[in-house]
Amino acid sequence: MDLLLERLVSGLTNGSVYALLALALVVVFRGSGTINFAQGELALFTTFVAWWLTTLGSPVWLAVLASIALGFVLGAGIERLLVRPVQRKNDTAVLIVALGLFTGLNALDALLFGTETKVMPSPFPNGLDDYVSLGGARLYGDALGVWVVLVVLVGLVSLLFRRTRVGLHMRAVADNPESAALAGVPTSRVLALGWGLSGAIGGLAGVLVTPLAPQQLSLTTMFTVFIAASAAALFGGLDSLGGAIVGGLVIGVLEALVTGYVPALGGAMQQTTVLVVIVLILLVRPTGLFGSRRLERV
Amino acid sequence: MTAVADRPTTTPAPRGRPVAPGRVLVRGSAAHRGLQVAGLLLVVALLVWASTWPLFRMGQLTNVFVLAIAIAGLNLVTGYTGLLSIGHSAFFGLGAYTTGVLVVQYGFDAMLTVPVAIGFCFVAGLLVGLPSLRIHGLYLALVTLAVGVAFPELVRRFDDLTGGAAGLVIRARLLTPPEWTGISRAQRGIWLFWVSAIALVLVLLLVRNLTRSRAGLAMRAVRDHELAAAAQGVHVARVKILTFGLSAAITGLAGALFAMYVGALAPDGSFTLLKSIELVTGLVLGGAATLLGPVVGAVAVVFLPYLTSLVAPGPVSGIAFGVLLIALVFLMPEGVVGRAQIALRRVVTVVDADHPALARTARDPGGPPEPDGQQPGPPPSTDEDQPR
Repeated sequence: MDLLLERLVSGLTNGSVYALLALALVVVFRGSGTINFAQGELALFTTFVAWWLTTLGSPVWLAVLASIALGFVLGAGIERLLVRPVQRKNDTAVLIVALGLFTGLNALDALLFGTETKVMPSPFPNGLDDYVSLGGARLYGDALGVWVVLVVLVGLVSLLFRRTRVGLHMRAVADNPESAALAGVPTSRVLALGWGLSGAIGGLAGVLVTPLAPQQLSLTTMFTVFIAASAAALFGGLDSLGGAIVGGLVIGVLEALVTGYVPALGGAMQQTTVLVVIVLILLVRPTGLFGSRRLERV
Repeated sequence: MTAVADRPTTTPAPRGRPVAPGRVLVRGSAAHRGLQVAGLLLVVALLVWASTWPLFRMGQLTNVFVLAIAIAGLNLVTGYTGLLSIGHSAFFGLGAYTTGVLVVQYGFDAMLTVPVAIGFCFVAGLLVGLPSLRIHGLYLALVTLAVGVAFPELVRRFDDLTGGAAGLVIRARLLTPPEWTGISRAQRGIWLFWVSAIALVLVLLLVRNLTRSRAGLAMRAVRDHELAAAAQGVHVARVKILTFGLSAAITGLAGALFAMYVGALAPDGSFTLLKSIELVTGLVLGGAATLLGPVVGAVAVVFLPYLTSLVAPGPVSGIAFGVLLIALVFLMPEGVVGRAQIALRRVVTVVDADHPALARTARDPGGPPEPDGQQPGPPPSTDEDQPR
């Protein structure tokens, strides 16, 4: 029983991180109708910068803030300079720009920060004694911290979308950019804001995940997280905030349980198993669990 | 937002589409046939000349041929049918590992494994294509991403067959050219050079004929507007799945040749997602939905790392790839070959014999060309097609 609880806790913790990055993907999708394939690498870059700041003696919280700010600037900048000009052409062009960013950013990290693994200090107390006992399972400080951040962030983002003028604008632009523009919504500013917001969430997710990740901070850290996060976003439905959260948590728990109880599929096959499950779900519900169906007009 | 919003139904026609101001060449006429034969002779002459090069250079060329075949496979699905695949590294790897495992573990003759690799990859492609029936656009790209991610994991998992992370070495003894060629084992690079060259030519012929057939028209219809294509009677599901299968089979052929070329396979070497990105880069650079784009793309993909490593070592090549990819989307979305075709069309236009513009030019040679998009009758010719 304790073992099950412990696996659930670790699954939920990983899942929260996936959910965070999935949230970033959903925010971009709701604004621009596209998946940002470079989301993970963007987060990795900002995390490397945060790590670099801590080596200069900056306190961790300041590095986290810097990562978030940099994520915002990069996200908005990418939308403005690289995505918007090609978006009118087609989906493939946007994907290829993102693939270019993906390769380029990763190589840039290698060039600037080197290929060796780094240890990013956690923003939460994560000593061996910093835990709360919960029915025999240990809840460590950094896991708890990630959960709290996720809950707060989800609250803030849904408030933004549902209760503020900017959120209303974002939903309008996602729904129909032309009508929104005609109704006086500053479409371009709203789009850049959406990408910036998602970059900032990514920056936060990156700093939170690296102390938990088995690879610590290395060039491949965010790739696995991104795969899981995009699977989570697809699973939940790309345009649903709640779906991203549910998707992330389900995938985290699924991973932990598969690794724990089905050794033949765990470890080496972890990603594959998860992805196969996602593809099966997509076959039944092509737009995810909570995604809205789209009308196609000819 | 409806899907129509991000899929414009009328793409701007390329300049000078109906009839360029330059010369008009009728398809199948003596002049057209003559030029085709001349082109073919030129290719053969170039190949013969290249076969006198040192083995190292020939090896590089073999690598180019192999990659060109792989990209030509990707072109069918991504260029002509418009389904972006970032999982083709898996088919490339499946082809390579089919050859490697059959030769090393079961003692097959290397060349006999090629059809097996093609068959396996065809079936794998059909399976990966299946989700495309229900899953569209970005969701589909992520399914192919899943395939690309899964492949190295599968190789590592079944390590008793594939050698796992340690890799699989095909000994040179097992790759000896057949006796009738008279090529010694040490010179097997020459044998592989010719095999890859001929395979590439065959693949290009296949792609050319396929894309000019009704099937090719159906593929482009699916790409340009799926619903409209379905309404016109195109069996969208069949077109997508079969294209995926064929595309995977061609890329698998490339993988099988690649296994013979490198002689050592490792899951993290050439079969990761980075390979897929390399293939996509090559396709975009050369020109999606053009016949020769994959060849030009392969040349660039093989030689660019050499060039960047001359300037600076290590990760710079990755940065160069990224920047190049983005720059291409902005500056030359039609690719090198696509751009060359546009330029060429100003000099000479190839049209079918029954092209309506011919009759008009014959009647009124001095008349102004009709504006774009109002041309009645069938589209002028399939190789003037542009990637979206």
